[in-house]
Amino acid sequence: MLQGLTELGVQLTQFLTPRYIFDILWSTQLGIIVGMLPGLTATMGVALMTTLTYKFATDHAVLILICMYVGAIFGGSRTAILINIPGTPANAATTVDGNPLAKQGRAGEAMGIATTGSFLGSLFGMVMLAVFTPILGNAALNFLSFEFFWLTIFGIIICGTLTAPKDPLKGWISGFFGLFVAMIGMEGMHAYRRFSFGNVDLAGGIELLPAMIGVFGFSEILMVMKQPAIKIVSNKIDKVIPHLRDVLRYWGTILRSGFIGTIIGAIPGVGEDIGAWVSYDFAKKTSKHPEEYGKGSVEGLIAAETGNNAAVAGAIIPVLSLAIPGSAPAAVLLGAMLIHGIRPGPLLMIENPEFVYQVVAMVFLATCAMFVLGLLLINVFVKILTIPRQRLMPVIFSLCVIGAYALSSRIFDIWIMAVFGLIGYAMKEMDYPVAPAVLGIILGDLLDQNLRRSLILTKGNIIPLFTRPISFILVLLILFTIFSRMSWFQKLWQSLTGKIKK
Amino acid sequence: MEPQRMDKADFITSLFLSFLGLAVLVLSLRMPTFKNLGANPYSAPGIVPTILGIILLLLGIILLVRSISRQGYQLKISFGGMIELVKRRSIKRLIIALILSISYVRLLGKMNYFLLNSLYILLFILAYEFDFNERLMKQKKTIIIAFSEAFLIAGSIALVFQYLFLVRLP
Repeated sequence: MLQGLTELGVQLTQFLTPRYIFDILWSTQLGIIVGMLPGLTATMGVALMTTLTYKFATDHAVLILICMYVGAIFGGSRTAILINIPGTPANAATTVDGNPLAKQGRAGEAMGIATTGSFLGSLFGMVMLAVFTPILGNAALNFLSFEFFWLTIFGIIICGTLTAPKDPLKGWISGFFGLFVAMIGMEGMHAYRRFSFGNVDLAGGIELLPAMIGVFGFSEILMVMKQPAIKIVSNKIDKVIPHLRDVLRYWGTILRSGFIGTIIGAIPGVGEDIGAWVSYDFAKKTSKHPEEYGKGSVEGLIAAETGNNAAVAGAIIPVLSLAIPGSAPAAVLLGAMLIHGIRPGPLLMIENPEFVYQVVAMVFLATCAMFVLGLLLINVFVKILTIPRQRLMPVIFSLCVIGAYALSSRIFDIWIMAVFGLIGYAMKEMDYPVAPAVLGIILGDLLDQNLRRSLILTKGNIIPLFTRPISFILVLLILFTIFSRMSWFQKLWQSLTGKIKK
Repeated sequence: MEPQRMDKADFITSLFLSFLGLAVLVLSLRMPTFKNLGANPYSAPGIVPTILGIILLLLGIILLVRSISRQGYQLKISFGGMIELVKRRSIKRLIIALILSISYVRLLGKMNYFLLNSLYILLFILAYEFDFNERLMKQKKTIIIAFSEAFLIAGSIALVFQYLFLVRLP
């Protein structure tokens, strides 16, 4: 514990140089702007930044990406409060009470509360990141190919279920489609070119970043241009800095939402939006004034914003300890770490333990920058929301193009971006969540390698895949997640739990 | 999307998904096992794609059965209906963005990046802001803004990316 704190202190002081502070400030502010603009998501911001910083030193690049990530998830609350449209999907729950507060002429107060909630949520998540990453990493040292195989399947199933709560079938389809996309190109054991049909570019596989820029960038541009123009509700900002007593009054909600947000964030592929909704839902159920929810409840706003920002740090926990992302932006972060030669996963705490504390320090600095910038520069940057979309979107598309091209200098990657943009658009129109597909692209290789390794170890016997203790638990969790969405199972479950209660 | 149209969309998607699953399954089964080279048969590259092909096929069939039970197979596609759809303002806006963006990607590498980028931004702004029924002089401001933004932004992107981020331009 003490050793961890000392290491964190060392890493923090390392970043306190004018150059690093300058980079923290501009990248967090850029993240806030990206988050504020409807059509630009945290994932796209982090993906674009990854391609632009890949020639930077590792700690420098990862610091900029984390600042962008933290800033963007927070920045979306501005749009949610002022125009009732979440700047990023993570801020959807913020609209429910944030916008009614703005309509009551309390936009500044709402933004101040959202900033404080985001700050506290992020800090809570940071503590959990520092505590649980080494624990989970050590536990994961017991994982063999069998467990990693089931973990990838569990990630796809739980991500599909939680990102498509109304129709989980579509979430699972999206996830398995992503796994198939990951199969395209040369495989790792025999260098056999799968599904490339003699095309040299396809033989190299589908690069994650161009695909993600397409799914989260180009498809959003098409969505924004299709929808009617949005109008700002209020650009009159009154007092922003919240009263301490307003915040302290909801300390229970803050702690609970921080905890829920971090846990939800740590579930593979689920992300900040679900973290915010679950935190909001719990806050409403336990509130003394549930009737105020949806009409401008300060408690509801705090719960949503604490939940989504806590999920940011939560999503980084499995990235570092298992090399499995907790959310779409965390997936890009994982990709960026791999590009920079870092090997996240169970061995990270043995090979490169100081990196974990470096990341914790980065989250802390990004959180502080977000809090200061969020309270000080509200009026200046709110004006960005008045830029007409037809003047902004072509600029964003130009950035998507250059971002997709920057990593390998291949026009093919720009086509991948465009094609995945169209696929992403079609999926969103038909209510297919895109996060499971992205998670599938990332986890495909892990699934492929580990299943084949398991079969080689057992000489084709599949029984050990089910009988090892951790594998068995994961199989049960997968089956429970699938069956819990089926009506016959729900009835059976209710009757069983009813009998137990009696 | 309203439920009826969603069922129709699900029906079409389920057919595509079933076909994809079947194609993946067939192609995976035809992949070599490298047994003749002394490789372990369980390291064959087709094992995981075969399983994924079966899962995609099954999910496609489940979606197909569900959409059929909800009358999603009654597509009722007509030429008039398609024309009506294209006439919608939202679809028009979408098609303009799509055509301009895909044309931009198509022309990348075939002409100067700065010029292409300027042209793309300029046409994008004018496509949504220029009104052919208005007099040209009345739209002087729109045109000046479009030209200024196009050249300033395209120039900035080219300079910043080439010299600050050291990225080779397409």
